[in-house]
Amino acid sequence: MTTATATAPARGPVAEQVLGKAYDLRLMQRLWRFVRPHWRLLLLTAFLTPCTIGFQLAQPYLLKLGVAHHLEVGRAEGLERIVLAYLALVALQGVSSFFEQVSLQLLGQRSMHDLRLAIYDHVLRQRAAFFDRMPVGRLMTRMTNDIESLNEMFASGVVTLFADFGKMVAIVVIMLFVDVPMTLMMFLAFPFLFLLINYARNAMRRSFRAIRVRLAAMNAFVQEHLSGIRVVQLFRRETVALREYNELNAGHRDAYLESIRADAAMYAGVEAIAALAFAGIVGWVAYSLGASKADGELASTIVMFLALINQFFAPVKDLSAKYAVMQGAMAAMERIVELLDTDEPDAPEATAAPARPALPPAPGTDALVDFQDVHFAYGAEPVLRGISLEVRRGSTVAVVGATGSGKSTLIKLLTRLYETQSGAIRIGGRDVRELPVAELRRRVTVVSQDVFLFRGTVADNVALGVDVDPRTLEEAVRRVGADRCLVRRLAPDGQGTTGPTRMLDVEVSERGNNFSSGEKQLLAFARALVRDPEILILDEATAHVDPEAEELIERGVAELMRGRTTLVIAHRLSTIRNADLIVVMDHGKIVERGTHDELVAADGVYAALERTFRRAG
Amino acid sequence: MRPPKSALTVWTYLGRYRGPIAIGIAMLVATNALSLSIPHFQGEMVDALKGDHPARSVPGLVWLTVALAAGFAVTRVASRILIFNAARAAEFDLRSDLFGHLLRLEPAFYRKHPTGDTMSRLTNDVQTVRAMWGAGVLNLVNTPLFYLFALVMMLQVDPLLTLWAVLPYPTIVVVGRIFGRRIYTNSREVQARLGGMSNQLQEDLGGIHVIKTYGLEDLRRKSFLASSLRLLDANMGLARVRGQLVPVLGALSSFGTVIVLWVGGHGVIRHDISLGQFTAFLGYLGMMVWPTVALGWMLSLLQRGKASWSRIEDLLRQEPGIADGDGPALADVRGDVEIRDLHVEIDGRPILDGVSLRLAPGTVTAIVGRTGSGKSTLVDALCRLIEVPPGTVFLDGRDIRSLPLAALRGAIGYAPQEAFLFSTAIADNVAMGYGAGSALPRARAEELERAGAATSSMRVEAIAEGSGPDTRIRHAADAAGLGRDLAAMPDGFATVVGERGITLSGGQRQRVALARALASAPRVLLLDDSLSSVDAETERIILERLKDVMRDRTSVLISHRVAAVKGADQIAVVDAGRIVECGTHDQLLAKGGLYADLYASQLDPDELAARVHRAEELHLAEGAVGGGAR
Repeated sequence: MTTATATAPARGPVAEQVLGKAYDLRLMQRLWRFVRPHWRLLLLTAFLTPCTIGFQLAQPYLLKLGVAHHLEVGRAEGLERIVLAYLALVALQGVSSFFEQVSLQLLGQRSMHDLRLAIYDHVLRQRAAFFDRMPVGRLMTRMTNDIESLNEMFASGVVTLFADFGKMVAIVVIMLFVDVPMTLMMFLAFPFLFLLINYARNAMRRSFRAIRVRLAAMNAFVQEHLSGIRVVQLFRRETVALREYNELNAGHRDAYLESIRADAAMYAGVEAIAALAFAGIVGWVAYSLGASKADGELASTIVMFLALINQFFAPVKDLSAKYAVMQGAMAAMERIVELLDTDEPDAPEATAAPARPALPPAPGTDALVDFQDVHFAYGAEPVLRGISLEVRRGSTVAVVGATGSGKSTLIKLLTRLYETQSGAIRIGGRDVRELPVAELRRRVTVVSQDVFLFRGTVADNVALGVDVDPRTLEEAVRRVGADRCLVRRLAPDGQGTTGPTRMLDVEVSERGNNFSSGEKQLLAFARALVRDPEILILDEATAHVDPEAEELIERGVAELMRGRTTLVIAHRLSTIRNADLIVVMDHGKIVERGTHDELVAADGVYAALERTFRRAG
Repeated sequence: MRPPKSALTVWTYLGRYRGPIAIGIAMLVATNALSLSIPHFQGEMVDALKGDHPARSVPGLVWLTVALAAGFAVTRVASRILIFNAARAAEFDLRSDLFGHLLRLEPAFYRKHPTGDTMSRLTNDVQTVRAMWGAGVLNLVNTPLFYLFALVMMLQVDPLLTLWAVLPYPTIVVVGRIFGRRIYTNSREVQARLGGMSNQLQEDLGGIHVIKTYGLEDLRRKSFLASSLRLLDANMGLARVRGQLVPVLGALSSFGTVIVLWVGGHGVIRHDISLGQFTAFLGYLGMMVWPTVALGWMLSLLQRGKASWSRIEDLLRQEPGIADGDGPALADVRGDVEIRDLHVEIDGRPILDGVSLRLAPGTVTAIVGRTGSGKSTLVDALCRLIEVPPGTVFLDGRDIRSLPLAALRGAIGYAPQEAFLFSTAIADNVAMGYGAGSALPRARAEELERAGAATSSMRVEAIAEGSGPDTRIRHAADAAGLGRDLAAMPDGFATVVGERGITLSGGQRQRVALARALASAPRVLLLDDSLSSVDAETERIILERLKDVMRDRTSVLISHRVAAVKGADQIAVVDAGRIVECGTHDQLLAKGGLYADLYASQLDPDELAARVHRAEELHLAEGAVGGGAR
């Protein structure tokens, strides 16, 4: 009934390589891994499908019985039994088909649920660099739209195809059982049917492939122009862009023509062939009878054949719609497999030894964190060029420097979001690459400048997976001074129906949009305080906040850092002044180090920067 | 081409193809008539074989059936092709109008409406509407037609039996409505839970760094598992309703058959009707099953189509916020820009709060100020990327609101900080400055050609092959300091940059965008912090070269770097939407105000470089504090 609707959102070019196939053994094997655990449902479906077909196919047979034993011979008594039996068959077919559908859907939904979780787990295991490259939209599409395409295959594609095929075989068997010559007459229609299906299949494969490619190109074009609407308008490209878009638009429209033709030919051709097959059978019967007349038995057989022929050809009619579903599913599976095969695991334990053997830890120091000649480059662009730095237990080290000097990269390497390319980072004398990643990330807590809050409550966001009692949470919230902004959100006393009554129950909306950036900072401090980490990494926010919030944050930071080993990327003069050691970074190198007073006295880069801080602070 | 907005309805676009659709509907009438006559003759064949009613001979009937089947096939194919192609053609028009319209909407619109949502209207909603136009219209005509013909044929056989046979059909209507409502409710539930799951997914992927550094994988997975299970439940709810619908509709239709078997069977036994008539009757009933089931599907198609159309219509009815000026274009632009007491608000917040500034032809004006002070808005106002009140911005003495947008923007060359490049060759990106160049994705077109699916309209034409790029492109690229970068690329100007220019470095992207602005040979040149990702040394060289280019133009330079603005003819300091200071570098330094502060806080690169050098020497001399230094 439907022509193919290829809903392909804008995708990368890679995704469009695999096109047109409606069946791919390799992909099916991958899919099978997710279907296999639900084999009971598969078995149930496999059992119910022939039942439904059987109940359906028995109906024309009853019809034949009725015609042969009652209508033809004019016997009215007993006809009610035929009618009741027919009714029973209809009911049985309905019940069987319902359970078949439900078990099939359950099979599909459960398998796809498993597949979705497998993708989710896989994605979450990837290292940070993977996410730099992979747009969020594309990952989302894999777990939503592509899974839906596969679901569609379960709902109306492959299984129905098998069922249809089984049904057609069954019909032929019944026909052969009833009357061989008549069945053979029907076989004469098969070459035509075969030619028709073959034509339609090829035409659709070509057509769908072109449609997918062109739709993707067209959508990418639109996406690009809407994102760059300013450039489009500034350089007056509206007319040119529309003309170019219409070239793609026309290509897309024309790509459909072939599939429309094939679909129409299929739809009409099958019905016509069915009519011809019946005409052929009658023609054969008339020829073999010669001058004599058909008796009741023969007439009833012909009536039954008519019903069977219609049922035989019905599934072929909307083969094109199923074909489109299958192709869509295969393309989706291909993209999913591609994602699953892209494996860049995050922080694998005890990976290969560092490229350059690290120097032994300097003896006699109690450095908790120790960077040794650390090098790192994003692609070909060096970011860190030989950083050596020690953070002693209980001390505060402030890192200052211009944007792009490599400060943030230090943090990412320490937490193994990225891997050090040469040199080593040690915590308590052990290379971070040898520490289990869970232990590493438990000992080190990062508070970054753009705070990410999850949807839920304040309690969820402050506890963040740590199992602590509400009192500890409240205590943490109070200590960093986040209580004030939360109290404001509470329902006024006495009319507690309008909002939360406890600070911890205050709702946090998506990405914490209902909190200001200063408030989010405070919540992040509370979050870190609850974790009570051995090593605190603080990336101070550069964003300007109002003076009141500034003061709150300053106090919160102080509370958080009290008595803790801290490495801070500092933007606040107060933080820097109080640090035990200040290092100044420039272009991936440490250019100065010392205490505040030492560095001011040296009148170097820090001294100049300090004037800036003083003015801003 | 575009229909007037008042007359816009869901059928406007399809209405243009009423000719082919009318023929298609005529074909539908013919094909239904032929299709329903076939069971009649099949019935006659059975009777003829038995010799009951020797009206026609069996061979004659066989040939007649063959002819009817052929005629049926031809008319069926023609009807589908005509109607579906009309829907495709209407879809083409709709897409074209929609995209053309989107290109005219101002940037402010896109700030308020996420691109993802607009894209979804242009892709998914257009497809849904097209499905309604094609399959929807076809079935809307076909189903009642089919019922009508079937009824006529059955009435001819036996009016009373017909009445018995159609007895279950009113029930089908009622059942269809009930199921329609249930399916709608369940679909909504599925959509809502899918949305919930997508939101969580988006949150997790967006906060992946937090998840990793705080070790939240298990926590989030649990939550995702719950979302996915909720979706599964909703999907199963829908599956159960759907699973009931088909058997119920099928059973109801079969009741007709049962009744015919009982009533008609007795009729045959009593010789009221012949066995052939009985057979034909069953044939008609059998043929009514599929349209009945399809009816439900078609109604949902119509509902969804209308919902999608209303989303598209919202877009089409969205008036561009910036109207084209109706005055004549300037014959010869001198580039004399004046801003008089300009106030601009965005979302009720004042961004520009009474700005007055004169940009004389041939001068360079630098604008400095903190992030968010309104510098970029000022530049946007000059090109009317944001609407300005009448009588506030003038070009050569004319209010820019009265200038045609194309003429105004044609006089301006703009290089933004966020350099946006199209995924096409560098030469094309630069050539866009003067209206040439193509944004058609070459890489994809080539891929298509390899796949053998390209049409002549999508042929790849390489702008940079053979004769090499236009001299304008070359000059602009040189002036923007791209020469050495291009020489290092194997394909030079023909290098295709990735999506948004991702294959280039930030500095390279900015310089390509600068070259594009220069290639337009503008009277007014706006550089909005457009060399921020270029290192200080390169920036200095480029600015030195640009002096020639700027000499006979009006230039505006926004930069955070002191060195870049030092030499400007006038420097305007913007703070909180106002120009708080204006003068030359020396004047402003002497004044000791905000500019002097900014200057002192933003170290002069020359000075900084010297300090770093000194520090490095010091560092080495001290033998490296932390050990392990080279």
